[in-house]
Amino acid sequence: MFAQTRKKADPLDQPPSHLGPALKVTGVLDMDGDLYVHGAVLGRINATRVILAPEASIDGDIVARDVHIEGHVNGRIFALNVTVESTATVTGRIFHNTLAVARGARIDGRMPWRPPSYFDTLTQLPEIRL
Amino acid sequence: MTTIFTRNDKGSEPILAGNTPAAEKSDAAPGSQNALPTDPLKHSLASAQALTSTASAPRGVSVISRALKITGQLESSEDIQIEGLVEGDVRAVTVRVGPDARVHGTVSGDEVELAGTVDGKIEAKKVVLTSSAHMTGDVVHQDISIQSGAYISGNLIPDYGKSESNVQPIKAMVE
Repeated sequence: MFAQTRKKADPLDQPPSHLGPALKVTGVLDMDGDLYVHGAVLGRINATRVILAPEASIDGDIVARDVHIEGHVNGRIFALNVTVESTATVTGRIFHNTLAVARGARIDGRMPWRPPSYFDTLTQLPEIRL
Repeated sequence: MTTIFTRNDKGSEPILAGNTPAAEKSDAAPGSQNALPTDPLKHSLASAQALTSTASAPRGVSVISRALKITGQLESSEDIQIEGLVEGDVRAVTVRVGPDARVHGTVSGDEVELAGTVDGKIEAKKVVLTSSAHMTGDVVHQDISIQSGAYISGNLIPDYGKSESNVQPIKAMVE
């Protein structure tokens, strides 16, 4: 899980996962390392880093350390560092510690700031409030 | 003269360019607390394409790496390579289940190549069970190849495409 304190290099040593543009996943994705999404996900994503390509479409919550969004997200985002690119469309709250939004991005929702400690205890949160 | 439009100009313009004192200052505070290697993501706001396209897998192939666990269904009109753990059904054109991968559920497609473990069912036109394959459940196929060493516990049913409802060609399902 994301919340565990791991050694620095550990999760990113794992080979990344790629979900292709034609792939549709319904369910929970639990990952140590980078997750590249080009397709559609209906459900929760849990990873160290999540990179959403412009054609990606997520319906559900994202819990990660870093989230990079170029596609569509409908759901909550819990991440220490969030980057929203100009092609992105986000509907839902973005719980973040550091946030970068590019000009042109569409965001509909609140963007609450949280201290880093908030993200360490995140394990229980999404389940409770889902 | 300072107005609401000009007072931040010093800071805001270079931010768009990417690497500036202002941008680094805002990144530095949380960065020092976490001390985690987030550089690729930080710099990508200016060069977004680099992050997604250079690091991208070959187009059209989905890779479920060994660190990924999926609980649920996967459906694709392209190929899927599974190295991780899937609890649920997988449906694609070509499905490759790698040596350390595990799938609990039905794997279906035009072609299924199994080198790992499947606990459930395989439905495919062409099925390849390599020497490290571990298959528990039925295999519905039209054309099967089994290497020496493969473990199979279940029935081999050469009925793919013949029997009525449950086995449908992948193209009809996706699209």
